[in-house]
Amino acid sequence: MKVLAMYNIKGGVGKTTTAVNLAYLAAREGQRTLLWDLDPQAAATFLFRVQPRVKGGSRALLTRGRSLAAALKATDFERLDLLPADFSYRNMDLELDDTKKRARRLGQLISTLSDDYDIVFLDCPPSISLVSENVMHASDLLVVPLVPATLSLRTLDQLTSFVAEAGGHQPQVKAFFSMADRRKKLHRDVIATLSRDHPHVARTIVPALSMIEQMGERRAPVPAFAPRSRAAICYEQLWAEVRPS
Amino acid sequence: MPRSSAPPYLVADRAQLLGPPETHGDPITAEAVTAALTDELSVGFDPASVVQGAALDTFDRRLAAAGLFLYHVSDPAGQRLVLISEKDGAPLTVPTVDARWPALVTALPAGPVRDALAPVATIRALMVLDEQTHRVRRGALRDEDQKILVRFELVEQVTDAAASTWLSVKPLRGYGNEARNAVRLLTAAGLRPVQPAPVAPAPDETGVRPLRIGRSAPAITLLVAEWSAYLAAMRANLPGVLDDVDTEFLHDVRVAVRRTRSTLKLGRPALPEGVSERWEPAFKWLGDLTTPVRDLDVYELGLPEMAGWLVAAEAADLRPFADQLRRHRSAARRSLVRGLRSARFRTTLEDWADTLAGLSGPALAHAPKLAVGTLANRSIGRAYRRVVRDGAAIGPGSPAEALHSLRKRCKELRYALELFAPVSDDTAGKRVVADLKELQNVLGRFQDSDVQQQTLYGFAEQMRAAHAPTRALLAMGELVAHLGVDQRRARADFDRAFARFSRPAGRDRIRLVRVGR
Repeated sequence: MKVLAMYNIKGGVGKTTTAVNLAYLAAREGQRTLLWDLDPQAAATFLFRVQPRVKGGSRALLTRGRSLAAALKATDFERLDLLPADFSYRNMDLELDDTKKRARRLGQLISTLSDDYDIVFLDCPPSISLVSENVMHASDLLVVPLVPATLSLRTLDQLTSFVAEAGGHQPQVKAFFSMADRRKKLHRDVIATLSRDHPHVARTIVPALSMIEQMGERRAPVPAFAPRSRAAICYEQLWAEVRPS
Repeated sequence: MPRSSAPPYLVADRAQLLGPPETHGDPITAEAVTAALTDELSVGFDPASVVQGAALDTFDRRLAAAGLFLYHVSDPAGQRLVLISEKDGAPLTVPTVDARWPALVTALPAGPVRDALAPVATIRALMVLDEQTHRVRRGALRDEDQKILVRFELVEQVTDAAASTWLSVKPLRGYGNEARNAVRLLTAAGLRPVQPAPVAPAPDETGVRPLRIGRSAPAITLLVAEWSAYLAAMRANLPGVLDDVDTEFLHDVRVAVRRTRSTLKLGRPALPEGVSERWEPAFKWLGDLTTPVRDLDVYELGLPEMAGWLVAAEAADLRPFADQLRRHRSAARRSLVRGLRSARFRTTLEDWADTLAGLSGPALAHAPKLAVGTLANRSIGRAYRRVVRDGAAIGPGSPAEALHSLRKRCKELRYALELFAPVSDDTAGKRVVADLKELQNVLGRFQDSDVQQQTLYGFAEQMRAAHAPTRALLAMGELVAHLGVDQRRARADFDRAFARFSRPAGRDRIRLVRVGR
């Protein structure tokens, strides 16, 4: 079982849309797929039309032995299940702090599902916290959406340093440009510079497209409701770049 | 709980099946399902799609015997092979394109389905045993956010005159309560829970059936029953031979022919005048007709193993030899098919069937009054004495022909033991057969190695004349060397195997077999 985390310290960069679309593509190609919506805002849970509720909240999962399997929900798509978000996840840092091996608890929980799933996607909240540290330890790959802005390089450097300093198991990092607007000179310059100088940047660029914004209204992955759209093709290209071999 | 006729590939994992109401038995409709469920949740059904399913197995039902059930399913989404195991719940599925049946396992797409089937089907082709067409309407129960909570499949059997329908209610992970609630409401509306149909297809009807017979019964009764079973096996396997489905059809025809011939010889004392004189040559002709293709089949099937014997040469060096075999087989098959489609063949089988019918009726009066037990004692005793006599005469200087001839004697004894098994002592008979098998194996290895060497020389001569590559001829030389070593080993094993067979304990057992039950 492989674990891919959609992660960025910043919010509003396209983590959730990426997690939802890539998880859908993994399931579509036949992999038994799980998406864990770790963000208390519950955007991925909303997109899959699932109620953002986990019985007992994060405390039950992290400290009281409630199994992850009992909290799983099927989505409307074959082979794709969701572990929904819950508002209590806002306190996940505190709950983790109370556990043994507090930086590895999420990884321990995820590994209990290794017989049921081939791939797990984590949609992470934007922060650097104990949850992030858990995500580092649990993941094989961090997929990092970057909005092409002057601070993107700094964000990516902060992230790679954080990974390097995490110690123990270190996931690979793959960043990609998200919400890019080729009409903006700044976007073009940042993409050119960072793509040239940074080894962790993917070739795929996901532009700011209205089809991606429509996910909120359609409440479904782009390749499901607009399989021939440019947005769907971009996510397919990104999936081809980050898919575990 | 009553059973539905739903084929297993249309019943989703963990789904609950519901049949029409018992009272009127009218088909289930999407409208009836929608009406039965609560107003708070919405129910929708897609338009019907046609699903065609073909149940596959080998001719001798190897998959079913191993608890495996294979289906080729076609619907608008595409074609796939679905393999269901009695032991493991989750079916294995592999997409397929334009699959044609019959087909060998090696022709299937690589993956877990092929891996599971290969050791079971081996060299037997997969054939369509049964085809069904269903109309399927997929539906869903949704909440106020239009999230799917429960999936439905409304299935109608198109080929069934009674147009049976059933509804499959599939719970989704995390929504078990909703599925249970839906089943409760639907059963309250009159639908009945039913069980899926058992997966086992009809059993094979071509095999030789066991016969209950006493030692005092007329011998002719046993002989006719055996011959009738062999004739049925010949006829059942004939279409597979003509279509060249797999090599085992011809093999099974040959076994039936050989057993018929051998039983004709054994049964001579019990037959009316003229029967063996007419039919022994007829079945010899049939056997001879099938020999060339079978010999070449054995070579082709053995090629992968032979390639493993090579030391200096490579497997690819044998390719010209494989091509040569294929050409010879094509020519031999043409002759075989001509023979099997000939009037002579047709009338041989028809006349033999008439003869058997006569032997069960009017001709029975002219048959010698010989009991099964008497014929068994006589045949087994005679065959055993001949094996011991001929075997004891074989020494270090005996020619290969002496061992070949002994192999034939052993076969006669084996057929006699098997033919009269219904009236023989079980335990003693099994032990004698076990010892005999060991001796037959040694003799088989000896003769096969000898014949294959001679045949390889013959092929090599032809290929040399046709300017085959030197590497191919040298590779064949390695095969001859390997076969030579095998033959010497078999010769060395012969003395021990024969001594074991002819030891006093073996003689005592034969005595027990002859006395019978």
